[in-house]
Amino acid sequence: MLSARILQRIIATNATWPGGITAAAAILLPSRSPSSVPELGPTRPAGVRAMSFLPPTGPRRWPLYNEQVFPPTGADEAPRPAFVCHVKTNVKYSTKKMWYIASMIRGMSIEEALKQLQFVNKKGAQIVSEALKEAQEMAVRDHNVEFKNNLWVAESFATKGRVLKGLRRHARARPGIVHYRYTHYFVRLEEGAPPEQYYADAPLPPEEMLKRWLEQRRQRTITHSL
Amino acid sequence: MTTVLKSAIVIGTVAKACRLKVPQQTRQILAAQLPASEQMRFKHWNPKFRVLRGKKIIKVELPNFNEDEEAKQLSPDEIRKKLKEKGMLPPRPWQERTMSIGCTGGVFEEYVPPEGDGKVSIVSTTGAKQRLTALEKKGKSMLSVRKIRSYDEEFDVGEFAEQAVEIYKAAHQALTARDKATLHANVTELAYPKMMQNVRHKTVRWQLLKSLEPPRVVHVRHTDILNKENVFAQVTVRLHTQQLLAIYDRFGRLMYGSEVVGKDVLEYVVFEKHLADEYGRWRIHSKVVPDWMPARDPVTRTWRKEPVPPPEEGEAEPEKGDQGAETGEKAAAAAS
Repeated sequence: MLSARILQRIIATNATWPGGITAAAAILLPSRSPSSVPELGPTRPAGVRAMSFLPPTGPRRWPLYNEQVFPPTGADEAPRPAFVCHVKTNVKYSTKKMWYIASMIRGMSIEEALKQLQFVNKKGAQIVSEALKEAQEMAVRDHNVEFKNNLWVAESFATKGRVLKGLRRHARARPGIVHYRYTHYFVRLEEGAPPEQYYADAPLPPEEMLKRWLEQRRQRTITHSL
Repeated sequence: MTTVLKSAIVIGTVAKACRLKVPQQTRQILAAQLPASEQMRFKHWNPKFRVLRGKKIIKVELPNFNEDEEAKQLSPDEIRKKLKEKGMLPPRPWQERTMSIGCTGGVFEEYVPPEGDGKVSIVSTTGAKQRLTALEKKGKSMLSVRKIRSYDEEFDVGEFAEQAVEIYKAAHQALTARDKATLHANVTELAYPKMMQNVRHKTVRWQLLKSLEPPRVVHVRHTDILNKENVFAQVTVRLHTQQLLAIYDRFGRLMYGSEVVGKDVLEYVVFEKHLADEYGRWRIHSKVVPDWMPARDPVTRTWRKEPVPPPEEGEAEPEKGDQGAETGEKAAAAAS
């Protein structure tokens, strides 16, 4: 029942940012286009040397997507759906554990995502719920989204944040390192109804599969024929 | 737990792919039924040595990297408490920057426009009376005009009205193009944030189609700040024009107005100049909006009405009304 291809697809998305190729990314084309994002300045103000006691800088590019201004759409073009990008930086949680929750809500409407997260017995579910609610508020207040429930999760992924190291003792006075892991959680909410299929390579319904098979067979050329 | 959630995700994905409803079982799997199997046991089988086992790990007080952001939501008392806990003194505000007063803080002795202005025909008696009450009949205004002439010999009320329209046009075109330098030259420091704040991340298209009536100076006043020599003058100009305004949001969707339909606009714009400053310029300072002025067209989108808390005993009842709608209207229509 569990297709190996689907498992592979899910595992493949456990890659680094931006979290694999999804329908949202490939077919729908992300509304956020890198060209119109404001430029990132230097990591620290000029004249300040990198020192470990300074507070962490964390991800800076993601919130800049909220500052893109798109030109007015013409009458013939389809209206551009609103989107909002939000990040929760340096949350005390492991990225590996956060991946499960981030993957779960991809392609869900925000209402469905919040509902499902209520029943996930993990700390990450609380973090993601809060992030979604904050993003929803931002969308309604700042990005001209009229209905707060008319949003769906277009992108949801987590990356490694700070990692602090502590010590522990093992048997026979052997040392061990304890990793205190932090993670950054990124989410992009888009206005509208969620797509039928989020991942681009989802299996098609039987009628569609038959249609494609027939098309392929009919496109064949018979070599050396009259 | 990992295996459970992994299978849950897979089931969910497959269910979506096959357009099946997520079965009840999945929800049960997702619910707190842990630990169930041997692999999900979190406790050591022998609790006798758990204290010693705990002492093997050196406790580290982990920092909260989001403390600064969270502190923004706290009240001053809570911040003070936190600083006390840390043994830190409150930060000293270091103010070494000089302040130069470029404009007054508001409109002194506001003009009171006659009711029904702009609605009454010029041909009727009321209209004719309004037209005839020229600036020459007003004593205080004439005194202020004389004061302005003492600093600027060539100041003429009629010419100034035409100049005012040019400044108005330049200011709004600069706002459309987001040209901060030109905007600062045509708008005072009081009006600048009011204009810029509501067009952030928006596209504004504005055009002055024509003047329905010639612009007229209706009110002139002057005052001094701190010293008697530091004189500021404010001139109220009545502008009855036809304008085109269309505001698009961040995504290029029309939020307010139209690019095709023009609107008749009757405004009383206050221009200010710092007379004592030799480089002073006439700039837009504020507007006089009388009570009888009809409300602007509402914005097409809706907002949720914030629940008004019930008034406490002994206090006056709070103003009831569409608080959300009001702020929304102001937000969208502030650029015009």
